[in-house]
Amino acid sequence: MFKGYLCMVLHGHLPYVRHPEHEDFLEEDWLYEAITETYLPVIALFERLSDEKVPWRMTMSLTPTLAAMLIDGLLQDRYARHIGKLVELAHKEVERTRWLPAFQRLAVMYLNLFTQARDLFERYHRNLVAAFKRFQDAGSLEIITCGATHGYFPLMDVCRESVRAQVRVAADHYARLFGRPPTGIWLPECGYQPGDDVILKEAGFKYFFVDAHGVLHATPRPKYGVFAPVYCKSGVACFGRDMESSKQVWSSVEGYPGDYYYREFYRDVGFDLDFEYVRPYVHPDGIRINTGIKYYRITGESNYKEPYDPDAAREKAAVHAGNFMFNREKQVEYLYDMLDRRPIIVSPYDAELFGHWWFEGPMWLEFLIRKIAYDQKTLRMVTAPEYLAENPKNQVVTPSLSSWGWKGYSEVWLQGSNDWIYRHLHKASRLMTELARRYPAVDGLKRRALNQALRELLLAQSSDWAFIMATGTHVAYAQKRTREHLLRFFRLAEEVQGDHIDEDFLREVESRDNIFADIDYRVHQ
Amino acid sequence: MEKRRNSRNAKRPAARRIAAPARRRGAVPARKLLKKTMEIPLQETQVAEAKYYTGPAPSHQRPTPTPIEQRQLPQGYDEDVLVAQARDPWWTHIYWDLRFKTWDDCRARYGGDFEKSSWALRAYDISFIKFDGKNAHRFFDTPVDVTARNWYMNLGSPGTSWCLDLGFVLPRGRFVTVVRSNVVSLPLDGPSWMTDEEWMIPDDAFRRLYGMSVGLGPNVSSPVGKLWQERLKRDVSSGAVTSLVSSPVGKKAEKLPFWLVVDAELIVYGATEPDAAVSVQGRPIQLRKDGTFTLRFALPDGKQEIPVVARSAKINETRTITPVVTRHTTRNP
Repeated sequence: MFKGYLCMVLHGHLPYVRHPEHEDFLEEDWLYEAITETYLPVIALFERLSDEKVPWRMTMSLTPTLAAMLIDGLLQDRYARHIGKLVELAHKEVERTRWLPAFQRLAVMYLNLFTQARDLFERYHRNLVAAFKRFQDAGSLEIITCGATHGYFPLMDVCRESVRAQVRVAADHYARLFGRPPTGIWLPECGYQPGDDVILKEAGFKYFFVDAHGVLHATPRPKYGVFAPVYCKSGVACFGRDMESSKQVWSSVEGYPGDYYYREFYRDVGFDLDFEYVRPYVHPDGIRINTGIKYYRITGESNYKEPYDPDAAREKAAVHAGNFMFNREKQVEYLYDMLDRRPIIVSPYDAELFGHWWFEGPMWLEFLIRKIAYDQKTLRMVTAPEYLAENPKNQVVTPSLSSWGWKGYSEVWLQGSNDWIYRHLHKASRLMTELARRYPAVDGLKRRALNQALRELLLAQSSDWAFIMATGTHVAYAQKRTREHLLRFFRLAEEVQGDHIDEDFLREVESRDNIFADIDYRVHQ
Repeated sequence: MEKRRNSRNAKRPAARRIAAPARRRGAVPARKLLKKTMEIPLQETQVAEAKYYTGPAPSHQRPTPTPIEQRQLPQGYDEDVLVAQARDPWWTHIYWDLRFKTWDDCRARYGGDFEKSSWALRAYDISFIKFDGKNAHRFFDTPVDVTARNWYMNLGSPGTSWCLDLGFVLPRGRFVTVVRSNVVSLPLDGPSWMTDEEWMIPDDAFRRLYGMSVGLGPNVSSPVGKLWQERLKRDVSSGAVTSLVSSPVGKKAEKLPFWLVVDAELIVYGATEPDAAVSVQGRPIQLRKDGTFTLRFALPDGKQEIPVVARSAKINETRTITPVVTRHTTRNP
């Protein structure tokens, strides 16, 4: 008997990294790796499901920065070059491992993966946004957007004009790409500040997601916990994350991805093999990097690793998908008896978890979707708009300030390593508001400069920079991006106010930070 | 829709000064906090971090691109500003900046008293009211180093709203406000005490639901805010102490004090007529335009016989050369 819904959400995001001024730029690999390991495998699995007419429903956010990179000609060309070199390396690996059969079959596996990725990429004429759109138009995939550059809203609360710009630019960008206005939004880092829903409402959004405590600590108490959406006073619906299902996949202690038969992420031929041999496939400055060819399974807790066994891993993925489904069925059955309505389980994950970090993730997802379609009758996959259409009456509350970051609030993006950025970001926001007010209608160079100023401000606001400053291995790059976008912003603002716009400079930054071609600075109000 | 409120929301008496910061409360200059940086446990962010991971940090400095802008960001923008942002249900981060003119004005107005005064942040509890500067429920002062320009402060009460003044205390004890902050509202750290008549749920049912919602199972008997914190703490402490051994997820390679890795590959190369057909171990290979070839093999322990056979395209002739290679690896220790 049908007793409840499962809403799977993949949050696809990367910050805008595009450096035309360099032939080869290390951080652009974030995109290339995600294309090969996550986006293309996910598209391939959507294709298989659709071809075989398996019923499925998924929600996926494609952040405006990610979507913009996926449709950018320069990055598309560079990806084509990147995947071409990987195919070449895989060919060499097949030959090199001739006397090591356990490795040679893996080299062949990679050769197949890379050539399939290349073929799929070319089959969609290098435009992966169009690929995802196809499944949305077919009614299976619900694509939602995100803050324009993934700026973290709770730390913009003192300059809400920037929140509005993040939301409005994203909505416009989405409408242009997908031919319809967006209905749903993934708040960057799941960061919700009470009142932000009003800005979402203005831009036409119908729903968003928060972490569990965003709903659980709402005022007044939510009668159904996270197992039904709530409405904000603005009328926008809010869905809370289910921790139980998140934990099963996400937790590094109990989660599936830690299984010893799954592929080890941190052993890569880019580091393991002779330098001269891998040199053409790593960074031209001679820095070893991950290539994507990884031969080992997690094996155990020590540094000793055994070769990866794709068949054993595949079996594990099937077992884990069955386990996930079984647990959701039990959860839904319990809740159905306890509540007086059918519960919804919202399970959001970083898309890049699947395939990139958890190599078997797309396989697991495919097993899960097929099992839900054919092996049970308790659960039904759903998207937020479908759920709301079937269940329009929901409680009105004010969700609580929350995020899905470590400890659940803002500490990841507000701590010793990154708190210095806010005085500059807020200053730039105030100045942008002032400029939008002072120049309500200008044309020509001034308009271009103001539009570019907003681009620079938005790019500086990406939460990725603060996150990397707090945790990552690319700290200097994150600091530089914050600093450079702010400096470009302040220079443009100064030139607009002083009426002496340096067109060469403007043209240069327009070509580098070319995101959001149709931006209108007046949304920053 | 009627809401039931308990006494925590009842009207409070007008502003009164409260005693020195309570035990739960604390304030830390941002600089100090920086030194004992609270490290985010690896396992909490490892997955998210993985998408920015291109390999272990390079050992040498990468050449950085030439920026269009050579300037550095300024220290400040010569303006009077005081901004408070919530970090979590207890802590707020506060940053400020003062105009040079503001300093001069204060000096001109208060003279020697200004030089002898000490700076402080005054925090006003303005929960559920519209603050007019006098009607705060309570306030307390925290001495600060004005040159630090930012501060972390534990306000100690989730679910409350605050406004802060940066000012100085004159030798006779009077507080002079220099700049006032925005209103900062701290989120609750547990379920709201407000319930909703139309959507009423009995307390014990809510507790069970809450337990389910945070993944602790239905048999949770106390409000889960606390349990959740405990779970977080458990994760945090195991992460800080033993993340490398306790986390089975493809962790970064353990750094050993000393180590050695050795492997061997074999390069087989040669040359013949460019149009000859060549096979190595029975498999045909591609020649370069000049008739040369190079093959590279990972060489395992054991004996490899590598017959290289070339057959002429023009005459009926075949040549075979067979290198035989043995690898034997010993370890000590």
